[in-house]
Amino acid sequence: MTRLPESTAPTTADFLAEAGPRLASLCTACGACFRACPIADHIGLAGADAGAVTLDLRRLARGEPATLPETLHWVGACAKSGLCIPACPEHAKGLDARLLVRIARQHALNVTGQITSKHDAAAFPRVKVFARLQLTDEEQDRWL
Amino acid sequence: MAVGPGERVTFWFGCNMLRHAEMIRLSILLLEKAGYDVDAAGGPGYCCGTAHDHAPKPASTMAGRTVARFNDAAEKDGRGTLVTWCPSCHIHMTDIMAPGNETRFDMAHVSEMIADAADRLAPLFVKPVKRRILLHRHTGFDNHVPVNDRVAALLARIEGLEIVEGKAHAGHMCSALAAVPGALKAATTEVFESAKAQGCDTVATIFHSCHREYAALAGRDGIEVRNWVHLVAEAMGIDAADAYLGWRTGGAPDIAAIERADAKLYERLIEPELRKPAPI
Repeated sequence: MTRLPESTAPTTADFLAEAGPRLASLCTACGACFRACPIADHIGLAGADAGAVTLDLRRLARGEPATLPETLHWVGACAKSGLCIPACPEHAKGLDARLLVRIARQHALNVTGQITSKHDAAAFPRVKVFARLQLTDEEQDRWL
Repeated sequence: MAVGPGERVTFWFGCNMLRHAEMIRLSILLLEKAGYDVDAAGGPGYCCGTAHDHAPKPASTMAGRTVARFNDAAEKDGRGTLVTWCPSCHIHMTDIMAPGNETRFDMAHVSEMIADAADRLAPLFVKPVKRRILLHRHTGFDNHVPVNDRVAALLARIEGLEIVEGKAHAGHMCSALAAVPGALKAATTEVFESAKAQGCDTVATIFHSCHREYAALAGRDGIEVRNWVHLVAEAMGIDAADAYLGWRTGGAPDIAAIERADAKLYERLIEPELRKPAPI
């Protein structure tokens, strides 16, 4: 059973606006999250300077532009592997490294405009057709 | 809060599970057999917003609407436990939706609910399942729910089933790897090579998005692909035909279903997915 956290903001947009700078303030830019990331290795960033990338991650999470292409490449490729969470030495103080990376990615998409979205605009229409292919009318009425 | 038999729950199956109607129905059946009173909810009307990082305001609105619907189910229908299937939805609820919206329900993953009821369900496992499976796993959801261990423990209750626990791959499920060039192909190759090397006849998936990718490979090198709920159903003697897998391996929905769904939309949105090349 997952006990859900108490709300600290009236909307998720407000929460994310508050959480980015707060999590960034907990980050020491030690690079542990980057070194734990299996995707960093996969996308050819194994030799990157982990400290510099995470310093840049902190900037992005505050809404400031990243200065390194490696940082943008990394946050844009996050696959939610989750290994960064326990690797972070500040985890016990409340730093969720995966959430920090996610907020940084959102800022790179929407605030600094340094990466572009891979959003599939047909995703919702597609699953609606799959639903009509397989679900009975009653199931559609009750579940959707 | 503990959840026991007779509790009223909402099974939140997410959006992309709509490709796998039998998995939704089987999950509901298993929860009911475990003693829960189940209502189900999913599709875009219950979107968590996790796939909309490019549009934070609409994503926030979607999250707020979905939490409000589950709060209503808790308050007006006594469904105080939300049972998830999708790890994306579960992680998004925990990490982002709940901190940004007042929630009046608790949450559990379906694997927890079913595994916790294993003693009640095991007597229903009446058919031996003669398979040697490679359990395909990921790392990403285990921080929230130890799903890999829960599913393995449940499947271990099935007579005849031999389990080889595969490598835990990066990502929270295969859809996350699909967005990283070469990552899905590397993981899929490792899984099938490992299955062959260890004499497995079946690759068993935990999540729907992995199943979607592996379905196209069913039958290759004599290796079948089943989801964990298919295997549990098989042990219970329940027919659990996998429609999506059949379509992905050359079949097609019947014409009446296509017409009901809208033939033009089917051709534009569904056929390209069903006919795209397998990941390896």
